[in-house]
Amino acid sequence: MEDKRSPQWSSENTDVNQDELILQQQRRIEREISESIALVGEKESLISLELEYAKDEVYLAKTKVLGQKYSYIRRTRPDGNCFFRAFSYAYLERLIDNKEEYEKFRELALKSKDNLVALGFPQFTVEDFHDTFMEVIDKVGGDSEASRLELHKLFNEQGYSDYVVVYLRLITSGQLQREADFYQHFIEGDRTISEFCHQEVEPMYKESDHIHIIAMSTALGTGVRVRYMDRGAGTEVTAHDFPEGALPTVHLLYRPGHYDILYP
Amino acid sequence: MAQPTSSALRALALEYKSLQEEPVEGFRVKLVNEDNMFEWEVAIFGPPDTLYQGGYFKAHMKFPPDYPYSPPSIRFMTKVWHPNVYENGDLCISILHPPVDDPQSGELPCERWNPTQNVRTILLSVISLLNEPNTYSPANVDASVMYRRWRDSKGRDKEYENIIRKQAQAAKMEAEKEGIVVPLTLEDYCIKTRARPAEQQLDMTDFYDDEYELDDDEDDQLSASDYEDGDDSGNGES
Repeated sequence: MEDKRSPQWSSENTDVNQDELILQQQRRIEREISESIALVGEKESLISLELEYAKDEVYLAKTKVLGQKYSYIRRTRPDGNCFFRAFSYAYLERLIDNKEEYEKFRELALKSKDNLVALGFPQFTVEDFHDTFMEVIDKVGGDSEASRLELHKLFNEQGYSDYVVVYLRLITSGQLQREADFYQHFIEGDRTISEFCHQEVEPMYKESDHIHIIAMSTALGTGVRVRYMDRGAGTEVTAHDFPEGALPTVHLLYRPGHYDILYP
Repeated sequence: MAQPTSSALRALALEYKSLQEEPVEGFRVKLVNEDNMFEWEVAIFGPPDTLYQGGYFKAHMKFPPDYPYSPPSIRFMTKVWHPNVYENGDLCISILHPPVDDPQSGELPCERWNPTQNVRTILLSVISLLNEPNTYSPANVDASVMYRRWRDSKGRDKEYENIIRKQAQAAKMEAEKEGIVVPLTLEDYCIKTRARPAEQQLDMTDFYDDEYELDDDEDDQLSASDYEDGDDSGNGES
């Protein structure tokens, strides 16, 4: 590997500033998007999606099919964290009405930190993320209506919202690394699982793929159904359940590059 | 964009406090300016039994408003001849690079930035980089070539070694002028840096309560302008 790389270094060296410029531009774009869309929006009728696609036959047809099964959508900010943010919001929202599952999840979340430290994540920072994660869980553990409002408020406060995302990314990475033998088969190219985690899972703003969803839902012991809507032929909005065969507790709508929450 | 900054302030205040209470071996940290949590002065003692022994190297760490989601940058204020340090002192180390998909880069992907990295893990990586330069993506090509000659000749070609030792010596004299004793044995290096009491401890509740919990408007002012300036100048020079 090193031999292959060594001729690159002289040219790579001049690219440093360019990388930095690209990144800066990317950050500017991200910031512009951020400012225009709420981290997690209000629950809207699915009709809002139909209106969005009024002039787009393919998507309009699919939206109508989607409307047979779902009535509401809740949009999330398209910042690369949308899967984790949408999932955690929808899951906690569900747990508000299901105390038994809530307690189970709380237990699991409480124990999850030690696993991460054992995997080599720096204790000092993991503890900080974990504390905030638990704080959010605890704050939505009370009476239903108040918890719902609290959830919405917390998820629109960047400090809390992003810490929840970071922590779920860590849990996902932890699951991938613990079951590396299994997940290795899903990784393209010659990256190892830990390389993949460091590049695609742990950093903020990195988009999620099937493998993230499988690992996260497995780690949390719950199921996610994702409805895929794209320009492909037909009017079906294909459903995928993660992990396979699990009972879905959260329903998400996927459009290329983005996840939103769906409700029946 | 008030809130990302409040996260950054909170994370930095936590780390600063922790590093004051329990310093990393071979390092001291303080704020460049007590009103600004986003710029730290770091002093690194050259590790004993290395070319850097006796040296006392100062550097500035600059944190972005969206820390810890993005990494800080480090610039040496003391002259450091090293394959991964640019002429202007900017340190090039993979742990401080955002995780771009770049299979051609000479860096191991496992060293990239993620939000669990922190000042402590960065400083430990810096000290290990001092002794083990990354010659695959050198910031100072001359230093890199010289280092490889020194390494490949098993130390017979002394040009690299002499420069480092001279710089360490000069830095040591600089430290003595400031009344700082640089630890020379492994024992002193580990024990003394640990035992040193937290000298200029700030009252962190100021940062935490005022900026994080309550006042969004103030956050706005504090960060954006501070960082924007630093970022621009750093970029122009590197």
